[in-house]
Amino acid sequence: MTSLRAEDTVQDLPTVTFGQRSLMWWGTLGFMVIEGWTIALLLVSYLYLRQSAGAWPPAPAQSPSLSMPSINLGLMAISVIPAMFAARAGQRLDEPALKRWLVVLSVVAMAILVLRWWDFEALRVRWDANAYSSAAWMIVGFHSSLLLLDVLDTIGLTLFLFLRRQPVKTFSDAADNSFYWYFTVGIWLPIYLITYVGPRVI
Amino acid sequence: MSSLGDEAAAGTLDARDVTREADALEHTWRDRPGLWGWLCTVDHKSIGRRYVITAFAMFLAGGIEAALMRTQLARPENAFLGADRYNQIFTTHGTTMMFLFAVPMMTAMGLYFVPLMVGARSVAFPRLNAFGYWTYLVGIGLLYVALLTNHAPDTGWFAYVPLSESLYAPGHRVDVWAQLVTFTEIAALCAAVNIIVTVFKMRAPGMSVHRIPLFVWSQLVVACMIVFAMPAVAAGSTLMLAADRAIHMQWFIPARGGDVLLWQHIFWFFGHPEVYIIFLPALGMVTPIVETFCRRPVVGYGAIVMANIATAFFAFGLWVHHMFATPLPELGDSLFTAASLVIAIPTAVQICCWIATMWTGRPRLTVPMLFVLGFLFTFINGGITGVMLASVPFDRQAHDTFFVVAHLHYVLVGGAVMPLFAGLYFWFPKFTGRMLDNGLGKWHFWLFLIGANVAFFPMHILGLDGMPRRVYTYQASTGWGPLNFLASVGAVTLAVSVVIFLVNVLRTWRNGPIAGPNPWGAPGLEWAVASPPPPYNFVHSPVVSSAHPLWETSNALPVMTGLRTDRREVLITTTFDARPDARHSSPRGSIWPLYLALCMGVLFIGSIFRPYWVLVGIGLSLIGLFGWGWQSSRPIERERIATPNGAIVERA
Repeated sequence: MTSLRAEDTVQDLPTVTFGQRSLMWWGTLGFMVIEGWTIALLLVSYLYLRQSAGAWPPAPAQSPSLSMPSINLGLMAISVIPAMFAARAGQRLDEPALKRWLVVLSVVAMAILVLRWWDFEALRVRWDANAYSSAAWMIVGFHSSLLLLDVLDTIGLTLFLFLRRQPVKTFSDAADNSFYWYFTVGIWLPIYLITYVGPRVI
Repeated sequence: MSSLGDEAAAGTLDARDVTREADALEHTWRDRPGLWGWLCTVDHKSIGRRYVITAFAMFLAGGIEAALMRTQLARPENAFLGADRYNQIFTTHGTTMMFLFAVPMMTAMGLYFVPLMVGARSVAFPRLNAFGYWTYLVGIGLLYVALLTNHAPDTGWFAYVPLSESLYAPGHRVDVWAQLVTFTEIAALCAAVNIIVTVFKMRAPGMSVHRIPLFVWSQLVVACMIVFAMPAVAAGSTLMLAADRAIHMQWFIPARGGDVLLWQHIFWFFGHPEVYIIFLPALGMVTPIVETFCRRPVVGYGAIVMANIATAFFAFGLWVHHMFATPLPELGDSLFTAASLVIAIPTAVQICCWIATMWTGRPRLTVPMLFVLGFLFTFINGGITGVMLASVPFDRQAHDTFFVVAHLHYVLVGGAVMPLFAGLYFWFPKFTGRMLDNGLGKWHFWLFLIGANVAFFPMHILGLDGMPRRVYTYQASTGWGPLNFLASVGAVTLAVSVVIFLVNVLRTWRNGPIAGPNPWGAPGLEWAVASPPPPYNFVHSPVVSSAHPLWETSNALPVMTGLRTDRREVLITTTFDARPDARHSSPRGSIWPLYLALCMGVLFIGSIFRPYWVLVGIGLSLIGLFGWGWQSSRPIERERIATPNGAIVERA
């Protein structure tokens, strides 16, 4: 078959779209599922180890401290606000507001990353002490790698926006970045409940 | 958008205009010349072709390892390979065939053909695709350098703990296995996300869900399986086993509260779906071949789609049948026996659909069809022994014997390699523009079919007679010598058949008969473009009104014009009914995927030796991520933005 018959034209379609009309949104969703599922498997493994252990955490380890992890959890919850405003600014194509909220989000995200150090300290046990400590360290560590990636993405996006590198597409990218940020914060909640609060109740 | 039937748009396009646009697209989409262009390519066909060739090279490597094992086992108390070398070779054989041949080969076929079959110009994320391939290549380098330097893994392709823990497996052999798995998982996940998003968002206008080609359906289902299966083995190998070995974590150390069965659960939660990840795309290849050579649409399109989805669903519910020999609750055993029996049903549905298609069609016994028939015969045998092994009392007798080796080879060689060869004969003209030789193809088929059965059938009897797996030799008094010798003769026959295939490929790649766009008269969109396809795939987006577009279009192929020719642009359509929705730009070639894959190499291979290499790898990756983002964000011209509130705004 060599001849082609034109039925219509697509030349008037938009070239930048948001949300599920955008490829990047679907790609982000795909990696959120993969990473979320990996964390789910780690948490299930943690609970699997717990069921065959007598005491949890095994002696002489203590239950994790809750103070700093709770503060960081609160900060993460607050960080959703600049992420949401950044997404909305992107959707309104409001470049000054987008810059402003991305800067705020970058600062808050870096603060969360710094506080993560004390989340590890709060476990009050070394990673190589026993299976419990290994599981807890690995779960928090894996989430930290996602957090690092998202912080870098946010800072990079902010930087590119100030350098005026393709500002138009950044509107959509900023919305997707916030989408991923919600995931990074949301997936921390079951981790916090199981690895920090859990040892006191299970 | 102008309405359908617009006078300016309707009607056959002038051939000279089409040629002019094709020339412009060629200029826009082609790779840069030379080595740099080769390293930077993000063309899904170049990447797919490299994947296929590399994965086939791994098939040959795994075959050579099999030949070495069969030489060792051909007679009792043979001294050809020592125990240690034998352990490395059987581990490398299994690891190669599962991680480096079968899964990459099946995803490679998807990465090459899915965009062509859905009428798209590229995959959703071309640079991610290239990154996946280079990461896979780094993994191959790791395993084979280790093998050639006597450091290959030696604890089996599933690396059971505690055998694979530092106490029983000192040195770095198991670390090589664990990190190799990491590379292949990254590659598979990149491919899976690419295939899912390409199928969801880049189908040709009109290709609603009930018109998606069945090969594409199988790739979509498998990509979704990869998303849920691969994280399990990535977690198990990288975050648990490698961490136990490198930084003294205690996941699997019972004295410190660890649990060895946790590894088996995690591994087989991935490992059993893995079989279907290999096998479903192979079944996806069978359908278009049966349709094409029976000259009729397949019987039971909807049933086959549902069978694929049901298989994927059940595949995650029967991993424990690999663990029947461990102390698990009897109720659990019963549940997993039932699930293992039930999964035979959707596969049987597909087989019945193909038989009905052949029965009511006009079959032509071409080489691809011969391989399909060989697949049906061999795979059904493997399926039946699978049903036998689903029974706990039988499994406990046959567990870890050659019966299981026979079963898995009937399933994988019959159920995946034979359909793969059918697919390679069927689509070779599309890859290369040339036809493979029919006579050599028939020699290949018959020797392969006979060789596979002679090699693997005796293993059933050996297993029932008690011969265990993974032993490097046996005593003459066992009486296993003659059947082992027969199996080795079968292996030689298989090797000869594969050599014939290679000769066929090498002879015809450059000098075979010219194929033309559609040498078989097949119905799929991939046959609407030249063989091999141009870098942009389609001059204009095809419009689809059936599941067999080329059979239902009598004159000119209906298309939608309007995608730009002066920049790489792809058409985005809606998820369910594939209505045109947007035009997105697609990236040009880039060196950053290769750079980042090498950074992953530094990170994961370095971590085998010193944990600080993880930080070095992350540091180097930052440069790559910045470069990747910088390239994505280059200033471009005006864009039409569709805001979430429905407005269209033009802005630079």
